[in-house]
Amino acid sequence: MLRWAAIAAVALLLALLPLYGDAVTIQYGINALLVAVLAQAWNILGGFTGYASFGNSTFYGLGTYGTAIAMAQFGLPFWTGLLLGAALAMLCALLVGIPILRLRGPYFAIATLGLSAALSALVANLDIAGRNIGLILPLTRNDTLFYEASLALLAAATLAVAWLSASRFGMGLIAIREDEDAAAVMGVNTTLYKVVALVLSALFTAVAGGIHAYWITFIDPASAFDSTLNVRMVIMTVFGGPGTVLGPVVGAFILSAIYEALASSISTAAALFFGIVIVLAVIFMPRGLVDLGWGFRRMGPRYLLETVRQYRL
Amino acid sequence: MLFAQILVNGVLLGGLYGLMALGMALVWGVLNIVNLAHGALIMLGGYAVYFLFTGAGIDPFAALPIAMAGMFCVGYLLQRFLLNLIVRSALLNTLLITFGLDVVLTYLAQLAFSADFRTINPSYAGANFTLGGITVPLARLAAFAVALLLAGLVWLLLNRTRLGRAIRATAQNLVAARLYGVDPRQLYAITFGIGAALAGAAGGLYGVVAQITPYIGTSLTAKSFVIAIIGGLDNPLSVVLGGLVIGIAESAGSLYLGPTFTDVISFGLLVLILVARPARSLRTA
Amino acid sequence: MKRLLAMAGATALLLGLSGAAMAQGKTITLGAAVQLTGSLANTGRYYRDAYQLAIDAINAKGGVKVKGESYKLALDLLDNESDVNLGVRQYVQLVTRDKVNFLLGPFNSNDALDDSSVAEKYEVPMVEGGGASGQIFARGYKYIFGTLPPADEYYRSTVEMLGKLDPKVRTVALVAADDSFDVSVAKGTRKLLEKAGLKVVVDEQYRENSGDFSSILSLIKSRQPDAILWSGHEPEALNFIRQAKSLNANPKYFYSFTVGVPTADFRTALGKDADYAFGMTPWLPSERLTDEWFGNAAAFATLYRQKYGYDPDYHAASAVADVETFVKAIEAAGTLDPKTVRDAIAKVDFHCLYAHVKYAANGQIDLPQTVIQIQDGKLVAIYAESLINKPLYPIPPWDKRG
Repeated sequence: MLRWAAIAAVALLLALLPLYGDAVTIQYGINALLVAVLAQAWNILGGFTGYASFGNSTFYGLGTYGTAIAMAQFGLPFWTGLLLGAALAMLCALLVGIPILRLRGPYFAIATLGLSAALSALVANLDIAGRNIGLILPLTRNDTLFYEASLALLAAATLAVAWLSASRFGMGLIAIREDEDAAAVMGVNTTLYKVVALVLSALFTAVAGGIHAYWITFIDPASAFDSTLNVRMVIMTVFGGPGTVLGPVVGAFILSAIYEALASSISTAAALFFGIVIVLAVIFMPRGLVDLGWGFRRMGPRYLLETVRQYRL
Repeated sequence: MLFAQILVNGVLLGGLYGLMALGMALVWGVLNIVNLAHGALIMLGGYAVYFLFTGAGIDPFAALPIAMAGMFCVGYLLQRFLLNLIVRSALLNTLLITFGLDVVLTYLAQLAFSADFRTINPSYAGANFTLGGITVPLARLAAFAVALLLAGLVWLLLNRTRLGRAIRATAQNLVAARLYGVDPRQLYAITFGIGAALAGAAGGLYGVVAQITPYIGTSLTAKSFVIAIIGGLDNPLSVVLGGLVIGIAESAGSLYLGPTFTDVISFGLLVLILVARPARSLRTA
Repeated sequence: MKRLLAMAGATALLLGLSGAAMAQGKTITLGAAVQLTGSLANTGRYYRDAYQLAIDAINAKGGVKVKGESYKLALDLLDNESDVNLGVRQYVQLVTRDKVNFLLGPFNSNDALDDSSVAEKYEVPMVEGGGASGQIFARGYKYIFGTLPPADEYYRSTVEMLGKLDPKVRTVALVAADDSFDVSVAKGTRKLLEKAGLKVVVDEQYRENSGDFSSILSLIKSRQPDAILWSGHEPEALNFIRQAKSLNANPKYFYSFTVGVPTADFRTALGKDADYAFGMTPWLPSERLTDEWFGNAAAFATLYRQKYGYDPDYHAASAVADVETFVKAIEAAGTLDPKTVRDAIAKVDFHCLYAHVKYAANGQIDLPQTVIQIQDGKLVAIYAESLINKPLYPIPPWDKRG
């Protein structure tokens, strides 16, 4: 009960941020919320089924370009653009999901990575997408709108995951993660489950891309299909705790806060420290923040040594 | 005639590609680590050869073994004291830690070497000869030969030596490896060291045909990834073959479809091969 | 519970980022987010060093006079890590939290395209010397000014010169990368070539950051154009030249590059292979370019070299012009109000070590390119409206060089 009250309080605090935060906080807020959406969307497939996608930027890019093409080439309103982007991404997830979700482990990861790179290169050759020059969107000064839209999207993604973790469908996904063949024997339609999870993941990722496109006003294939984004969403989820409801959100918030604080204070050495943080995080909390929380409650600082002992050679 | 020339270009490029992917495939196949810092190791190898050449005046091809020895040590230490700590956790974690490592190495390289473009430019770097109307660049031919030589040596090492058999046994399972009486911690470190040494050799050759900056790593990692998958993880010679496939596909594709399509070709090919041959992929995983 | 604490902590960190505004005093702060690390750091450093050098020189001569009061200039410089998205957030931070008075630009057209939106959104003028693409100035923005000449005009002086050289160039190979800047260059050049009556026999676009030119070079070899006009980024130019040599691919008379040739780095990386390459620059460190703070461009180049250990090129000079634009505009406006200063920038008209600075209605400067050539490891000015020095022409093929 207390827990839900606290979550509601934090959500309210975040929703009212435009009233008391300054422009920079909102700016960083939009960014933190959008990457949290990406992490949460990745979590739906990667966290629950264990299928680690390294190509979710495919859907991000499609969402970005769907919105940008609708607005810049056809002068359609923003919301129509978001819909178009989401539809494109979901369609793509549906079409490629069936063949590539047959692959397992690193092979799935690499197929998705390849897909995103190939699509990025393809978009760079399409006239309607402005080729590699990119597209320019109209400028709006309404950062509050972007902030609240991002927050609403994150809330929707998180609620979806909360529902997932309690539903029969979610159980099916977890069964796939634990042992796919056994899940199939038990009557789980594994292909259907995985494809639905991928489509859901694509939906949230694409809308985040669309919001970002309108906010940043200029997009090109390199920024829309940014391959470092793939790695970042995985890191944030794994940092927070894959397969949990709040882990990816917390992980994304903490890592973006660290990254932005480093980038705006010590500036040039930021990348170095970010790299070191990731290396240390993997060594000392390989199962994520949420697990770190439980472990600390059980055994205190000894947890760190225990995990290292468990996974080292 | 143009087609023959394109074919030669592709084959020579492919040899270097194959060498780049060799170390990655070895580490992946044996240790089950997808090393995202592989490109950064190639970059470090490139700098090593560059400084041996410009600083000590050692011919780049003669400097290769020295750079490889140095990179072996770097790789050995990385695995022994860092990667061994997490090698038994989920595959994702090895991806993340090597990504972090890549960021750190890239940053340190910029600090140490600046962002200046470096080229390894011996007097014969641009030399070539013509054979039946086809121009063959010497440096690329030599790089190609070195790539084949190293792939052959790795094959011999894995198949004809006791150490190699122990390494291959490790790839199958850890307990079996212990039967060879080798400490698996050492074995892992040595394997990663060999991977790093191969990356170092690739870096040196890359510097002879292209240029080195601290930031070349990421794209080289991606390329190595693709080739390792296409070639397969169990045989070093097939990795080089994978490199040739990509090299030829890219040169021919950029002529007939346009150079902006090279990435579509190599990554599209990757997805197609994965999807068309899932059975084989599953077996090697 | 721990989970909640962690979440509260994250929120607090996010909110905590909103620090206090910087104390102002009698200073005017110029803010910029430039590539100090990452793939563009090699050119980003020109902006860091030139901004600082210009500000130091201006402060040493008494700073900026606003209605009789004297202000010192200060620089608030952030590293955008060659990440376009981070750069945008940093510019917002500069404007709203660090409360800088005015904005200086980043390097690169793509960065300027995104970052200029921040200037427009917050109505704070930005003068940038790092983005030449026409797209930046075609959006009707009022708060963006640029000191690089328009990308589609880069080859104007070169094409003009080709008409006066003997033997005559009749066929051309045009090779350009597929990003915003280079597409603008290619588009402009195609028009120029058509007007001059030259035939384009190879017109290839390549994917930016690709390292392999052997297919394009083989094509050039089989079509044998008289000249190659190339546009792209510096590392790709290095690859192109080295691979041309190793494939012995030659145009009959002439090749030229939009970037690389004026930078010292290019010559050290290529050594003797850099010789004969033609290029262009809107700026050379000449004594004829006088300057209120540095004396002249040659003196600036010497000072720059002493201080930073490498030679400045047009990026650096253009960055100095950006800082000086603000000084001139602020003094003319007699206030620090961004809107008034913006109008004053639109009207500035002065000569400095970079050029005659005067902005067109779209905010971009107009500046002719001087054709240059590397002769025996040295940069030589060849052509601007008329021949300045004798070009080494035609360029000897690779297998005939000593």
